[in-house]
Amino acid sequence: MLRLVLRNLLKHPLRSLLTVGSLVVALFLLCLLRSLVTALNAGVEAANAQRLIVQSAVSLFVDLPTSYQTKIEAVDGVASVAKWQWFGGYYQDPGNFFAQFAVDGAELFDMYPELEIVEGSQEGFLARRTSCVIGEGLVRDFGWKVGETIPIIGALFPGPGGEAWQFDVAAVYRPTRPNLDPRTLFFHWDYFAQTEREITGEEPKVGVFVTRLAPGADATAVMATVDSLFANGPQRVQTTTEAEFNRQFVSMVGNLPRFIGAIGGGVLLAILLACVNTMLMAGREQTHDVGILKALGFTNASVLRLLLVQSFVLCGVGGGLGILLAISSAAGIAATMGQYFPGYEVRTATILLAAAVTIGIGFLAGIFPAWQAGRRSPVEDLRATI
Amino acid sequence: MLVPLSYNLRSLFVRRVSTLLTVVGIGATVAVVAGVISLQQGFKTMFAASGREDVAIFLRPGATNEGDSMFTRERALTLTKKVPEIAVDDEEAPLAAMECYLAVRLNRLGGGETNVPIRGVQPATFAIHGEDLRIVEGRHFEPGTDEVIVGQRLPGRMQSCRLGDAIQINITPFRVVGVFASNGPFDTEIWGDLDRMLESLERIGPNRVMARLRPATDLAALAERMKEDKEVPSQVQSERDYLTSQTTYLSATLLFLGGFLGLVMGTAAVFTATNTMLAAVTARTHEIGILLSTGFRPLPIFFSFLFESLVLGLLGGAVGCLFTLPLNGVQTGTTNFNTFTEVAFAFRVTPPVLLGAVLFSLVLGLLGGAWPAWRAARLEPTAALRRQ
Repeated sequence: MLRLVLRNLLKHPLRSLLTVGSLVVALFLLCLLRSLVTALNAGVEAANAQRLIVQSAVSLFVDLPTSYQTKIEAVDGVASVAKWQWFGGYYQDPGNFFAQFAVDGAELFDMYPELEIVEGSQEGFLARRTSCVIGEGLVRDFGWKVGETIPIIGALFPGPGGEAWQFDVAAVYRPTRPNLDPRTLFFHWDYFAQTEREITGEEPKVGVFVTRLAPGADATAVMATVDSLFANGPQRVQTTTEAEFNRQFVSMVGNLPRFIGAIGGGVLLAILLACVNTMLMAGREQTHDVGILKALGFTNASVLRLLLVQSFVLCGVGGGLGILLAISSAAGIAATMGQYFPGYEVRTATILLAAAVTIGIGFLAGIFPAWQAGRRSPVEDLRATI
Repeated sequence: MLVPLSYNLRSLFVRRVSTLLTVVGIGATVAVVAGVISLQQGFKTMFAASGREDVAIFLRPGATNEGDSMFTRERALTLTKKVPEIAVDDEEAPLAAMECYLAVRLNRLGGGETNVPIRGVQPATFAIHGEDLRIVEGRHFEPGTDEVIVGQRLPGRMQSCRLGDAIQINITPFRVVGVFASNGPFDTEIWGDLDRMLESLERIGPNRVMARLRPATDLAALAERMKEDKEVPSQVQSERDYLTSQTTYLSATLLFLGGFLGLVMGTAAVFTATNTMLAAVTARTHEIGILLSTGFRPLPIFFSFLFESLVLGLLGGAVGCLFTLPLNGVQTGTTNFNTFTEVAFAFRVTPPVLLGAVLFSLVLGLLGGAWPAWRAARLEPTAALRRQ
């Protein structure tokens, strides 16, 4: 029977090819859209439960005084606290966007075990005030090497004399979990603060305090205590888990995921109709053949099976290729869109969903013509001229 | 001699199931693309159309939006007084206002946090906006008090934004006393007294100065002069240009998404249309043979099938437009990546969007029909006639 299926499909190679082509496109698009949505949530799912983030309760754009650090450190259950400040600079051109943070360097690797050093060393980073650690995504994009000095123009914090800031690359990291961006530059808070004091004459402020919990500490209690410390100002704070902190960025996107879902629905509808159409055409053209089969003694059930298998083979090939295309292009997409979707990957769940959709389309596309064929008598079939 | 067009229309009707499936398939493709584009249109027009040409925005040199910009109070005040192009009111006071601006955290009604702009304004701000801004519920805030008014899109989207609610800004609660409408991006902002806002946010000065200009002011010349100003250098642009410059990232993202989906889904739709037309040609091989042997030239036959495919595309376009039309006016919201704040806007299915959708569907029909029509035109009359 399989040979008959193949013969039928190959009788119109162009048509089968076009159908497979639209299925490839559809399933690829489905995997892509689905992966974009899962990538959005990757930062939330992979967050570390031992880390809390202390930020201004008023706004993402309001900074906190450095003096808060020692007060937070004194809270029961807090193991260590690190200052983080968004630097907001760029390399040569504002289009070369990537994240830079001034951080307490000594705490960085203790707090973030998911930063795996692949080149250079932690000691090298700690030894010099002007050192920085960069992600391997930056090495790939800009070709920077350990030992190189890179100029970064500070859009928010103009460098000494209005010039660019200079950072010495001491190490390259690779994130082992998708909550960290492989395109980030970390440099020493001390270097940042001293330079700022020299330029502006004022103590710079802190974006967020990343707080590591002591083993066994009660996160809820620590959050409540820290928040109450500054309830009367000068700046109220909001302490959240890292997952919650990441979720606020996902939440900003609003109903975009639902919107993407609607697009996915439109894509599926269009492709389903295309496949039903093809299979109907194939069914119609095989009316005469079906008549012969029935006249020879094939039952309706086996004719139905024939047409269904035909549909499954066609959809299976198209859907399978589409899924393969999505998997093989994932690395490339992650590389080009990494800055917007750091955790882009085609997950097993996405693949399973796509496979289920493929089978569903195959079934629906096969059952209509099969049902039509089953209703007609062999005599009618044989008389059909098309 | 051309093949009568009714031949094609009848043929589409005879194969109506196949026609219907193809048309709806093309329609879904067109609808998705048109939907994304009308979202972009809604976002862009809301910003561009609400900005005035006779209102100037003064920012710190180098600032790309008001969040980055900052003036000390004294300098901002100097700015409002020293520029002769600024219009004056009946009492000869300049129609210029200082404004402070900050995106604050608020919770959505459905859960989740987002950033909502809060703006500290002066009485002159309302004089500048004039009729463009009106209170639709409650009353204006009392200057010098901890009262605010909120844009009309906020009460239905954010927590603590209804009349009588209190919005906590750092350690000061501000009471909501009114709701205003503006037809623009201000509809998702919170407005209060400039001095009270500066104090509760611990700011030293406003973010920007805005002013109504005298009629026939040369804005370009003013901008050129203020850039080099010794006392208070500033960057000047019209309100419309400023608001348009705040739409670049989201607009580009949506256009890219629309283009990408158009290309990818369009490819699939062309495949489908080709399939349908190929089947149509195969089924009518005998008829084509008759046409050829009765004196029709291959070229009219080519055009005949191409026409049929174009009709298929056009029907698809019409269905796509029908799918898209109900979206017109539907409100949605997301973060504007230029300002990192929440904006609410509506899909705008405009005539150009619909025209573009129809053109797109015709292109799909044309591409899908070309090869089958060519094949039909190239048939050998004798061989075609022999086919049953």
